[in-house]
Amino acid sequence: MDARQPRRSGRGDWIVNLALRDIRFNAVRFLLTMAGVGLLVTAAIGMVGLYRGIIADALLIVRDIGADLWVVQGGRAGPFAEGSAVSATLDRRVEGVEGVAAVRRFVQFNQQFEAGGRSLRATVTGIDHPADDGGWLRLAQGRGLSAGHFEAVADESVGLAIDDVVRLGADDHRVVGLTRGMVDQMGDGLLFVTINDAQAIARRRTAEEVLLARAAGNRSGAATTSSVPQDSKIAAVLVALDSAADPAAVVAAIRRWGDVAVLSRDDQVDLLLNKRLWRLRVQILAFTSVLLAVMTIVVSLIVHTMTLEKLHQIALLKLIGARNGVVVSMIGQQAMLIGSGGFLAGVGIAHLVFPLFPRRVEMTVADLAALFATVLAIAGIAALFGISRAMRVHAREVLS
Amino acid sequence: MTRPPVLGVDGAVKHYDGGGVVRALDGVSFELHAGELLGIMGPSGSGKSTLLLIAGLLEPPTAGEVRIGGQRVSWPGADLDGLREVRRRRIGFVFQKPNLIPFLNATENVALALEIDDVPPGPARRHAGGLLRALGLAHRASSLPARLSGGEQQRVAVARALANDPPLILADEPTAALDSVRGRQVIALFRRIADERGAGIAVVTHDPRALDLFDRTIELSDGKLVGASTGIGGLVLQRGLSEGDVERR
Repeated sequence: MDARQPRRSGRGDWIVNLALRDIRFNAVRFLLTMAGVGLLVTAAIGMVGLYRGIIADALLIVRDIGADLWVVQGGRAGPFAEGSAVSATLDRRVEGVEGVAAVRRFVQFNQQFEAGGRSLRATVTGIDHPADDGGWLRLAQGRGLSAGHFEAVADESVGLAIDDVVRLGADDHRVVGLTRGMVDQMGDGLLFVTINDAQAIARRRTAEEVLLARAAGNRSGAATTSSVPQDSKIAAVLVALDSAADPAAVVAAIRRWGDVAVLSRDDQVDLLLNKRLWRLRVQILAFTSVLLAVMTIVVSLIVHTMTLEKLHQIALLKLIGARNGVVVSMIGQQAMLIGSGGFLAGVGIAHLVFPLFPRRVEMTVADLAALFATVLAIAGIAALFGISRAMRVHAREVLS
Repeated sequence: MTRPPVLGVDGAVKHYDGGGVVRALDGVSFELHAGELLGIMGPSGSGKSTLLLIAGLLEPPTAGEVRIGGQRVSWPGADLDGLREVRRRRIGFVFQKPNLIPFLNATENVALALEIDDVPPGPARRHAGGLLRALGLAHRASSLPARLSGGEQQRVAVARALANDPPLILADEPTAALDSVRGRQVIALFRRIADERGAGIAVVTHDPRALDLFDRTIELSDGKLVGASTGIGGLVLQRGLSEGDVERR
């Protein structure tokens, strides 16, 4: 009983970590709380990842195919934002323009077909073989196209396997390679064939259609304004420029023809992001904002409820002379632990679940870092609510 | 030179507004000296707890003042939040309920009072362990409050009140939740603390079972000091209680 108080250190950072002790004492409850916050974080990662995935899918061809300019149907912004059909021989005209190093023909359209008793769907994309060796394809298995006809390279998401034979148009095509993660902006897997095969597949008509077209005096039956590539039509000509060429001069030279439009790679990106996908992007960002608002409310309520449950202990701390910093630290640390623990749980769940989703959910380090900062900010806001309540507690309330 | 009393309450008045003025305290004055065990008695609603709130710097008086160690620390309109350091270093509190932090063990509950006063954890826990040992709780030092009996919890609360070696200890009905044996043990503990540590201890109680252990009692009724008595040879003479009453109890 005669022991005297030990010396003070003059430092204020000694105090037992009340936040961690409370968490350890109520471990199951805290883990469940973190899991709940984690699911909200997973949903937010999913929304942002879906947005990134749609952007990545939409820009995949534009970025990977390596074209400097896209020559498309006049008055149109094709072939992704609008339909485009140009003459299949336009590439020869473009090739003669000064500053053009190489040209390739491009065509792309959606196709449903039967394979192995299943109804499949793919976006048929023509590769101008042999001018285009298909080196830009993201091959996961097999090889690229090597024959001029009747070979195909399919994305894994289409559901085909190497050596499968699929009937497209009037011909059978053997799958010689599989790509991974190559889909169009709607999520349909890409199926690559030579451009001549692609034109043949697109040209497939029923006998009645051919008869009607002949009767109309139009042997091909093509409609120049159709968004679907028609007989002897392609969607665009891709241009690779000389390294020394002036892109503006090349564009101006081609535009002077009057029957075609010329878009740069940046133009295509801008059209896709800010025209074609604008509403979808805004929609996803709006949903993400709603989700973050819900997360703010939920985490704030959790922290506030935890604070309410500890009012008696907070009053006791004030009674025995604890500085406000002790109470602020306890509430703040718990809010941050719930936020960061929930974030880690959310990232873990996302990595487990999203690969099973049918569409790409792209998680970038930058997005995760931004989301982590947002979650910490939300935890900070929640802590402020709790701290605000704790500061209104009087030491005398310990007697109540 | 005479040392000032550890606690002085001068003319303390406390009014509450609630559809009319309620006079909880009406001009109460008393002093508590080092090593003295004072009982504050009176029926429910007599103002005992209000007096303790004012003496413990948890409520400012409507009129009057409070002095601790001769220093005027509380008066009408005083900033009680600014008196935390005075509470932390100079007052120990014990209540009817032990008010232990449920997620800290007995040692940590006691050490907490030191750690918030910037004492490093090692010395704080050693000191806490020593206090618990002195109070017969060495074997319960690492137990959480939920695993302690009511009497053990109350002794841990007493150890926490003693941790900062405060010159003043205020206790509000510390035996109300205990049986007569354990209640007397707690008052005997206060007696020992007053004798050995020289702390001034004021205990609010309306339990007469251990009156013989107090040096002095004061009695409140309707917010006024209506009686005071001095213990004589373990026998307390108090207004309203005959010697026979005291002996029977």
